[in-house]
Amino acid sequence: MAITYRDPLEQLQRELDRMLESAFGSAGASAAGVYPPVNVFDAGEEYVIKAELPGVDPGKIEVNVENETVSFRGERTFDEPNRDVAYHRREREQGQFRRVVRIPGRLASETARAEYRDGVLTIRVPKAKETRPRRVEIKAD
Amino acid sequence: MSPSDIEARPKQKIERREESTRPGAYFHPAVDIFEAADELVLLADMPGVSPDSIDVNLEGDQLTIEGRVKPEDYEGLKPLHVEYGVGGFWRRFTLGEAIDCESIKAQIKGGVLALHLPKAERARARRITVQAS
Repeated sequence: MAITYRDPLEQLQRELDRMLESAFGSAGASAAGVYPPVNVFDAGEEYVIKAELPGVDPGKIEVNVENETVSFRGERTFDEPNRDVAYHRREREQGQFRRVVRIPGRLASETARAEYRDGVLTIRVPKAKETRPRRVEIKAD
Repeated sequence: MSPSDIEARPKQKIERREESTRPGAYFHPAVDIFEAADELVLLADMPGVSPDSIDVNLEGDQLTIEGRVKPEDYEGLKPLHVEYGVGGFWRRFTLGEAIDCESIKAQIKGGVLALHLPKAERARARRITVQAS
């Protein structure tokens, strides 16, 4: 029997691709000139906002959550080599960034949390209590 | 002078990757490469890639870097609004310099791979003084 290797990321990738293309065409959001691009996810009880910000000092990122808006700003700066070097390629950019993201639902902003790991900023904001999905127990006699 | 805003560039998806055995999307990481007297330094943006999921391979003059992201970071997440694709990073370079393979150093921190490629002894630049007559 053949064993099929399935990458658990594959399904998500396909879904992301489909949503990307329908929203922006194949060029993606960056064609619209926003940095960094963000992805917003529904995780049941909370919203999860992710942005790729490699090589940024987490101490230089400021995150704000207010009403239905999540915003963050910061700066990406590199140490220049302190010796004589010749650049072959220079594709990485430095500078300031700022994004404001509207979330399609009410937020419990006081319990929001953010983490920066492996160059990815992840902001988790619980949904306001009244908008969370509630599981209703069925009683049986 | 205040620093300028970062100009957004779309992530470059790789349509065909050589020798790909794993499924899934791969992207081209943005890189800086600079050369000093004794080494080549390569910096690559690979957000989401942790130190245990990166491969650096030098075969002859072909340098390949590959990083994978963790599927568990996306478990239970339903996309609502999407501006970028998620996947691994892969890129291959042909090195113009002879490299001392034994002393290559690689480090990844904050999603940035830093690769130090020391030049082989014979390839190091020799300074030639031009004498004025």
